[in-house]
Amino acid sequence: MVSAAIRIVPAFAVPFGEARLQGCERLNRELEALFLARESDEYRNPTPTHNPQAEMFESRFNLFRWPERCVQELRSFMLDSIARTAIEVSTVAAEQFSRLQIQNHTWFHITRYAGSFVAHNHPQASWSAVYCVRAGERVADHPASGVLRFLDTRPGADAHLDPANRSLQSPFAVRPREVRLEEGELVVFPSYAFHEVAPFYGRDTRITVATNCWFT
Amino acid sequence: MNLPALNLVPIFALPFAVVPLALSEEANRSLAARLTALATPERRDPGAPADAFLFRGREDLFEQPAQPLAQLRDEMLGGLCAAVQAANLYSEAEFAELGVQIRARLLLVRPDGCVPIESASLASWRAVYCVSAPAAAAVRPDSGTLRLYETRFGSMFTDASNWRLRPPFAAGHHAWRPTPGVMAVFPGPVPHEIALNRAAGDLVLVSARARFAHPNQGTPSAW
Repeated sequence: MVSAAIRIVPAFAVPFGEARLQGCERLNRELEALFLARESDEYRNPTPTHNPQAEMFESRFNLFRWPERCVQELRSFMLDSIARTAIEVSTVAAEQFSRLQIQNHTWFHITRYAGSFVAHNHPQASWSAVYCVRAGERVADHPASGVLRFLDTRPGADAHLDPANRSLQSPFAVRPREVRLEEGELVVFPSYAFHEVAPFYGRDTRITVATNCWFT
Repeated sequence: MNLPALNLVPIFALPFAVVPLALSEEANRSLAARLTALATPERRDPGAPADAFLFRGREDLFEQPAQPLAQLRDEMLGGLCAAVQAANLYSEAEFAELGVQIRARLLLVRPDGCVPIESASLASWRAVYCVSAPAAAAVRPDSGTLRLYETRFGSMFTDASNWRLRPPFAAGHHAWRPTPGVMAVFPGPVPHEIALNRAAGDLVLVSARARFAHPNQGTPSAW
C-alpha cells in the first residue's frame, strides 16, 4: 500500500450550535408556570401544520411578543445564541451582521405521555432553535423517549454498506443525530434540517420553546 | 383566462405499490398466532435496543421452511416481483431471468410502540406486509401508519402558489395505513417509520428487504 499523506475533511457539513443558560432554574420555573397557566384554546396554535395530538399542546407563534419578564429574558438568550451561531459560521463580518434585524416565529410545546412530533423542517427561515424548559421524566426502558432527532441530510447515503463504510466515525457516519435536551440547554440548527420529537414516555411533562428566525 | 396548452408530468417519482396478497383471513389468523409465538427474547434482533412496546425480530424469518411462513414468503415474493416488474422496463422474459434475494423480520408493534426512522441498506426494495392490525385509534389519525419521509428540500421556500400543490406534486410525508392481507412495496433507501400505535391492540407486520441480480452479476455485499 502506498503511504502517501492524506488529509480528510468533512464536506457538506451541517452547523449545530449548543448552549446552556447558566442559573436557569428560576427562569424555567417561571416559564413553566406561565405556560401551564396558558395551556388553553385562547393560546393554542389555531392553524397547526401537522395532525394535532391531545398529548401535545402547541401555542401560537407569537411567544416572544409576550411582555412577561421571563419570556423576554428567554428571548434575549435564544436570539443572541442564534445570532452568535450564524455569525460564527458566516463569512459576513460581525459588524455587518449586527445591522440585520432578526424576525422570528416562536412557540412552546407541552408534551405528555405518548406525545410526539412528526419529522418536519421550517420553510421561510434560515435558523431554528429549541430550548428546554423542562426535560421531563427519563424512562429507563425507553432511552429515546422525547429525544429531538435530526434526520441525516444525506438520505440514501447508507444504501450500500460494506465493511469499509459500515462503521464510519463521527462526523462521517450516516445516521440520525439524537439530542436529549436538559433544562436550560439550547440547540441551534439550520431550518432546512428535518427533525422530529420521538414519543415521550414520561408520566410528567416535557416543555420546550422553539423558534424560527429569518434575517432582514 | 385563455390557458395555453401544456403538458404537466411528475418527474423524480417514487414507486409505491399496494399489493393485496392471496392469503385468506384464516391463513392470516394462523400466521398472526405463529408470529406472536416467535416474539421471544431469543428471537429478538440483537442489534436493536430492547423496547417493551416493540418486538423487532431477527432478520431470518424466511429461513424457516415450515408453514405458514413458507407460504407467506412465496406470497410476498410474488407480490414484490409484480410491483417491481410494473415499475421497470424489463420484458416478462427478461425479468424472469433475474435472481432475487429476500430477508424478512417480524415487527410486533404493541400499544404505544413505534418503529423509529430507518431505511433498508443493501437492498433495492422494502416490502411491509400487514398480518393483523387493531381498529384505528380515533384520537390519533396517524396511529400505526407506515410513514415514508419527505426528503426533498424544495419545500424550503413556500408561497401562495406552491403550498397547496396537489398529489403527486405536493411536498410532505406519505402515510399508508397497514391493512391485514395487504403489502406495501417501495424503494429500500427511502426513510420510513411506523408511527406510534395508539390503538388498543397489537400491529403485526412482516418487513422485508429484497434485491435482484442478473444471472452473471457478481456477488453482492453480505447483508
